[in-house]
Amino acid sequence: MALPSQGASPSAIEGSPRTFAKEHQRPQNTFSGCSRITDYEVLGKLGEGTFGEVHRARSRKTGAVVALKKILMHNEKDGFPITALREIKLLKLLSHPNVLKLEEMAVEHHQKSTDKRKRAIMYMVTPYMDHDLSGLLENPSVTFTEPQIKCYLLQLLEGLRYLHDNHILHRDMKAANLLINNQGILQIADFGLARHYDEEVPRAGHGGGEARRDYTTLVVTRWYRPPELLLHLRKYTTAIDVWGVGCVFGEMLIGKPILSGDSDANQLKIIFDLVGTPTDDTMPGWRSLPGAEGLNFRPQPSSLSQRFRDYGSGAISLLRELLKLDWKKRINAIDALEHPYFKNDPLPARAGDIPTFEESHELDRRKFRGQKAAPPPAPKGGTVGTGPGGWGGESNGNQGFGDRDSYGHRPHQNGSRYPADGNGAYRNSQPQETRRPPAWRRDDRPDNRPDTRLPPRPPPVDHVGVWTDTGRPIQDGYRDRDRLPRSRAGGGIGSGGVGGGGARSDVDTYIPTYGPDAGRRDDRARDDRRRRDDRDDRDDRRRDRGGRIDYDDRRKGSGDDRSRNSRTRSRSRSPIRDRGRASMERDRDVYRR
Amino acid sequence: MSHLSNPLASAAQLFSRTSDNALPIELQDSIRFYTARLTQAAGILLRFPQDITAQANVLLHRYWLMDDLMQHEFSDVSAATIYLTAKMSASPRSLRSITNVYAYLLSPSSSLASDTDPKNDPSSYYLSESTYIARRNRLLHIEGQILAALGFNTHVALPHPLAITYLQTLDAFHGKGGKAVAQKTVQYLNTALLSPQMLYLTHQPCALATAAIYLASREAGVKMPENEWWEVFDTEREELGFLVVGMKSLEGIAQEARERYGGGAMISRDDIRQELRKMGLVPGGGPGSGDAVEDEEAEMARMLDAKVSA
Repeated sequence: MALPSQGASPSAIEGSPRTFAKEHQRPQNTFSGCSRITDYEVLGKLGEGTFGEVHRARSRKTGAVVALKKILMHNEKDGFPITALREIKLLKLLSHPNVLKLEEMAVEHHQKSTDKRKRAIMYMVTPYMDHDLSGLLENPSVTFTEPQIKCYLLQLLEGLRYLHDNHILHRDMKAANLLINNQGILQIADFGLARHYDEEVPRAGHGGGEARRDYTTLVVTRWYRPPELLLHLRKYTTAIDVWGVGCVFGEMLIGKPILSGDSDANQLKIIFDLVGTPTDDTMPGWRSLPGAEGLNFRPQPSSLSQRFRDYGSGAISLLRELLKLDWKKRINAIDALEHPYFKNDPLPARAGDIPTFEESHELDRRKFRGQKAAPPPAPKGGTVGTGPGGWGGESNGNQGFGDRDSYGHRPHQNGSRYPADGNGAYRNSQPQETRRPPAWRRDDRPDNRPDTRLPPRPPPVDHVGVWTDTGRPIQDGYRDRDRLPRSRAGGGIGSGGVGGGGARSDVDTYIPTYGPDAGRRDDRARDDRRRRDDRDDRDDRRRDRGGRIDYDDRRKGSGDDRSRNSRTRSRSRSPIRDRGRASMERDRDVYRR
Repeated sequence: MSHLSNPLASAAQLFSRTSDNALPIELQDSIRFYTARLTQAAGILLRFPQDITAQANVLLHRYWLMDDLMQHEFSDVSAATIYLTAKMSASPRSLRSITNVYAYLLSPSSSLASDTDPKNDPSSYYLSESTYIARRNRLLHIEGQILAALGFNTHVALPHPLAITYLQTLDAFHGKGGKAVAQKTVQYLNTALLSPQMLYLTHQPCALATAAIYLASREAGVKMPENEWWEVFDTEREELGFLVVGMKSLEGIAQEARERYGGGAMISRDDIRQELRKMGLVPGGGPGSGDAVEDEEAEMARMLDAKVSA
């Protein structure tokens, strides 16, 4: 033993525990423990949005202004939330000027003695950043100059190169996750979906390379999700983050998100509108991707240079590289940094030369939006495990921003990231299963209050039906899936399987049922009766269906709807509580992959 | 990024935790040794890859450098570290599996307990629902304590993969005894995890790997380069010497512990208190007293939990 061991012990026993504790406080350096929240002077809440509670605070030790992000402990069954643990572990390993630094963890103990048994509250301490890019772009008084855009983009690419070089996939690249301070420094934040990348890191001139193993495709916010993910490529690479950079770049040029699809199918459509439909040349192998099955569209060329013609050929050229359909050839961060765009006039601004702006946070903005499109109150008892407002299925606003607030409530482990406050950004990292069944949330409401909510608006129909010519609808994720419970009479849920062979099942299953569904909604009693009936004659219907070809069946209209409906219902028998928990379990599994 | 290195304990930390502790150093040693051994056994029963078990033991040692040894029951700390480590890994285990395994290991039926095969009596490690819930809550509480004490520094770099790379660099796999050396090397590394000297907290993985290779190659009679090859792997002669002695000394420690406590699977806080009494030191002074209060509280909570679940 390297340490003196003789005679040290007995003396230490003397003295009270308190003096002992004082003498043995944790050293501040090396692996020290968490600091206390009292080490910080809280300056006020920054926001309460997707991130949970974020406070601005000043360190009493260093005087530095920091952001304190509270880690909410919603589901204590499994102890400290795994997603938060992962994020913290990753952040602790990272150190780069363009990656948000996790300074430390701070702990807040409950003051009252009665609360002593409660868990302490943990905060992640990061440097305070004045803006996030999304908020900044929405600020009408802010316009970006080209040198400024180049400056931010360079920093973004530097940060991303570092991440990829260290085998990390960010998997949630988007403007809202890019923080900017008044020194003009941009930092990549939010590593809640990040994971270790098991493949070779990108090399100069070799694009994103190839992946050998499968990863979950339920990542990346839709507007920034690359086409290969929308088509369910599981062996994806660092190129998925690069696509996000392309989206962010375009967003900086135009001032708003460039690819704001309202469903996965729609997202694909507008991607192809912008960069052209895939061919074996522009996206080799796309046909064999699971999501491409049954996909059909009229070939069209890229409209990218047309749409971005105001921003010069350099910008267009780089954007085209970043938004390349072929994920194997998509430029990587190393090469993008060398792109002529950054070497031509006007040259990138220096970070310090960028003018300062009034604080703008995406979370404030979202809070504001949340008010505009506040979701109806949560049904009692229907929120176990998902937090208040957890009905993924209600679309209550316009199809734009307000609406997006209404999906993406997943039963998240780490509530701090996505509190179900009704303003949650949609984070499409949820397994399909968990998002699908919200039918029960309404049907099994314990209090049986009449449902007074307005029926949701129908979805835009301009694109549906174009994208599928077999009975299998595009594995359309999030929005459509979310909307399913609404169309419970129409059985959007079962439509994929039921309509096998029938064309345009997405059109058919939704539209005709919209009316009856909306009508019925106000009539709980009738609804209930019908439910019982359905159960009784379900078998008959099944037999019925067997003999028919599908489009016939479809024409049957509401009758068919009811049978599907019944099935939907039968799936929702399990008690709310269990379902919430089960979905959480599944949710977690996704993260483990 | 520091994939290959670990945060190390400072000399002050080591000194204050071991020398100024209320417990005599030999008792601390046995606690560390027994608990780490328990973690290792549980890791095997839970079918963890060794890297998870190894990381759990490193976290265990780190935690005990920050918090008092007598704060929680040793086996609970072991279970909590293994749960936490597994949770962050690719192969998590449920709390129920973990509590079951620990119940077994701590029971008289445990094969860890004795040299002869004990009679297998399932009732001795049966966990009732209320006991399970009580244990679960205890583990989750300790999990939080561990995270807070470590400041969430849960990343552990292990020397095992490095050692293999080093052996390849040394061309050890070409000769006859290559496989044997590799095996011995890994054995030494795993043994070092149990060492109360906390070698994983005082030395970086590169030094640990080098020392294990040094010992293994000597024992297997495989020739290493004549020159000071360890310097290539960032290990100085002094460091190497210290680690070699440290790695070899575990046998003595295990022997000593065996004589003191008999062949039991695990020691508990009560065993330690008893030892303290034997030594003429009053247990319950120092941090032990705060502990008793804590226990009462825990008792209450447990009773409440049991009521709720019943």
